[in-house]
Amino acid sequence: MAKKVGLSLLLALATALTLVGCSSPSDQESSSTELTIYSGRSEEFIAPFLAQWEQESGVKLNIRYADSAELAAQIREEGSNSPADIFLAQDAGSLGAVAREGLFTALPTSVGVKIASTYIAGDRSWIGITGRARVFAYNPELLTTLPQSITDLSKPVYTSQLGIAPTNASFQAFVTAMMNSKGEEFTQRWLESLVKNDVQIFPKNSAIVEAIDSGIISIGLVNHYYVWEVSQGLGREIKAKNGFFASGDLGNMINVSGAGILKSSSKYAAAENLINFLTSQEIQAKFVTQTLEYSLIANEKSPANLPTLSAIGAPTVDLDSLNNIQKTQELLIKVGLL
Amino acid sequence: MRETLQRENSTSRPLIGLSSIVLALTFIPLIYLVIRAAEKPGEQIIELLFRQRTLEIIATTAIILIAVVLINVLIGTLIATGIHFVRLPYAHLLIIPMILPLAIPSYVFTYTWLALIPRLSGILGAIFILVLTTLPYMMLSVVIALRRLDTGLIEVARTLGLSKVSILLRVIVPQIRGAISAGSLLSGLYVLSDFGAVSLLNVTTLTVSIQNLFKSTYDRSGAAIMALILVLASTVFITLESGLKRKQESESATRRSGTKHLRINNSSAKITLLVLVGLYTAIAVFVPVSVLLSRFFSNAVPINWGELLSAAISTVTIAASGAALALLFSLPLGALIAQGNNRFSIFAERAVLISHALPGVVVGLALVSLGSKLGPLYQSTALLAFAYAILFLAKAVAAMSNSLQLVSPAVKEAAATLGKDRAAIARTVTFPIAFPSIALGTLLVFLTAMKELPATLMLRPIGMETLATQVWSYAAVSKFNEAAPYALLLILIAAVPTFLLSLPREALDRTKSSVRDLQLGESR
Repeated sequence: MAKKVGLSLLLALATALTLVGCSSPSDQESSSTELTIYSGRSEEFIAPFLAQWEQESGVKLNIRYADSAELAAQIREEGSNSPADIFLAQDAGSLGAVAREGLFTALPTSVGVKIASTYIAGDRSWIGITGRARVFAYNPELLTTLPQSITDLSKPVYTSQLGIAPTNASFQAFVTAMMNSKGEEFTQRWLESLVKNDVQIFPKNSAIVEAIDSGIISIGLVNHYYVWEVSQGLGREIKAKNGFFASGDLGNMINVSGAGILKSSSKYAAAENLINFLTSQEIQAKFVTQTLEYSLIANEKSPANLPTLSAIGAPTVDLDSLNNIQKTQELLIKVGLL
Repeated sequence: MRETLQRENSTSRPLIGLSSIVLALTFIPLIYLVIRAAEKPGEQIIELLFRQRTLEIIATTAIILIAVVLINVLIGTLIATGIHFVRLPYAHLLIIPMILPLAIPSYVFTYTWLALIPRLSGILGAIFILVLTTLPYMMLSVVIALRRLDTGLIEVARTLGLSKVSILLRVIVPQIRGAISAGSLLSGLYVLSDFGAVSLLNVTTLTVSIQNLFKSTYDRSGAAIMALILVLASTVFITLESGLKRKQESESATRRSGTKHLRINNSSAKITLLVLVGLYTAIAVFVPVSVLLSRFFSNAVPINWGELLSAAISTVTIAASGAALALLFSLPLGALIAQGNNRFSIFAERAVLISHALPGVVVGLALVSLGSKLGPLYQSTALLAFAYAILFLAKAVAAMSNSLQLVSPAVKEAAATLGKDRAAIARTVTFPIAFPSIALGTLLVFLTAMKELPATLMLRPIGMETLATQVWSYAAVSKFNEAAPYALLLILIAAVPTFLLSLPREALDRTKSSVRDLQLGESR
């Protein structure tokens, strides 16, 4: 009896193994009606748009979701063997890192015609899809002294109260911008002053906002849409609000999510079509209302309850220059934030 | 008789060959780590190793490891001995709720407890969750050892008038020390490689740090260096454990098993036991399941049954393939280790354990890098199954070698003198005796693979989701309600092998004692 059960168990396992063996090659078959996307944008918020394009174009999408920096590293590792056709990143730094390795193809001017040129790489290796502002999220019940500048954050009033997400690509892009504009020494001193002020480290932006909501911390550096995202996820109002630093402060930096087409891809036409879809007037407007991100088309409406991009008081940052994320990461490791 | 033994020795050459191949495969991640780490300039390696943050991370990891193992040793041994000795109706069934939490992944424990205590975080939170997660390993290990207890010694101690407490400390504990140490090893290695719970609780252990560096940096040598520290830490831990085990083995060389049991029939012991079991069941089974159920029922978004079903099928298929591969790999290694005390088998045993302590992310990373050069294998389910096999090989090998050790050479020789050939001996003697334990080992790999997260996230084929990755990605965007159906189904499926694991292994024990009787007959 026990023997029979055992044999059938073994048989089942063997069958499973055979099935696995058979199923793998089909994943690799290339077909002109499939595109492979590496997406650093989280599935919940980009998937509906990609599904709509899939339906309209009839092209099947294979999508790998992960963190932007992780995917950038994976693309570098894969080199010309990469199965990806498009890299969709949550920040300009990850895009720049891939562009720097020469792994993107230059996009023709027929792609993303409506997008303002500030949000396109100088060599057209990538193109911005949505805009996002760096803000501080805070709990208005717990915090009354709001910071005017990022340098205020080392003050005693924020001791153990500030949350950051050093693994997050948007945070790293912000630090890279600081390195570019204020120099490595200044940046290192600023980071060290945060560490000294017992800055709280979180794995990602949404975790910062959740911690603000539950009162663990009272302020955190995040992108503008996380307060809304977390409130959506929890299905209730939360005790967190967005705040901006004084006009022109680096803390108000505007970054983009964007996309590039890999040189190793053989499906440029379909890939360009997808990018054109995401940068079309219709979809850009949908980003504003459905994911509360900024449209990159000039003079478009801003997301609900937020100032327009030009009214934020953002510093002038050349997104193209954010490509040296490796140096930023080395600094973050050095000061013990990674 | 000597001839038979020699024949066995000479046939172990192909065994060594096959074992070496399997070991070489399991060493792929480690070799990758070394190559990657070496890419960084020397002074940067030193800087990374000796920065304050690294020392803090090592200290955090050590504190959690020691605390969890100590609590497990105390509580696990206490409850397991209680279940074994205290006279309660259906006492043997009490083990089932104690083992059931094995079906719940550590990240699900964390989510559900975070729902109740949003401020749960830090080292204390991590110790709490990891004790919940790993206590069943200790319990399982000790309960099995208790079932094989040398009760003759207990009888002797009683006739000598020793109190129950001193019988426990002086007679029973020494006998189950091997099992306690094996349970400590399993739970300790789990703690070292856990990613889900600690990262959700915002505690940076070595594994979290590796994952952070991997996810957030473009240069992967930093992650490789931290991973090598982790490998070193597990090596130290394994060496300590095997030192303990060896000592225990030599002491119990003259073990004899009996059938009578010492029974405790004291009402305060009964109440204490019931309270402990009830408490653990409440916090490790009732709370997570009821939180998930309430999330499930308050979920306004309609469940996508197709997605749920396909995630479940992927989960079961890949975990089963991983378990089958691990079973296959464990055959030569288990046989080699069961054969005993030569240097290569000791090396093999430890080498397998070290690969067990590698975090999923490291194995995943190595296979991602190699995979891109493997053509059709890249991002295939086969590669993911292979990763599971490497990650959980230790469990399969332990089951395999233990069960093969149950089959004493004397029995095989007896069969040989009856004129049976090797194939017939394997079929009629070795297999029936060894099977139950091997099947349990395979189930354990299957169960663990189902819950695995980091390697699955990295290696799953594009577009494929498992129950674990769905729980993770919904919860990552705070959609706990939508994560609930996936978590519930994962627990439900995982409960099946867990239940099988917790069943009393009477069949196994019976064969074992009959083997032992034969052995004893032989030696007299």
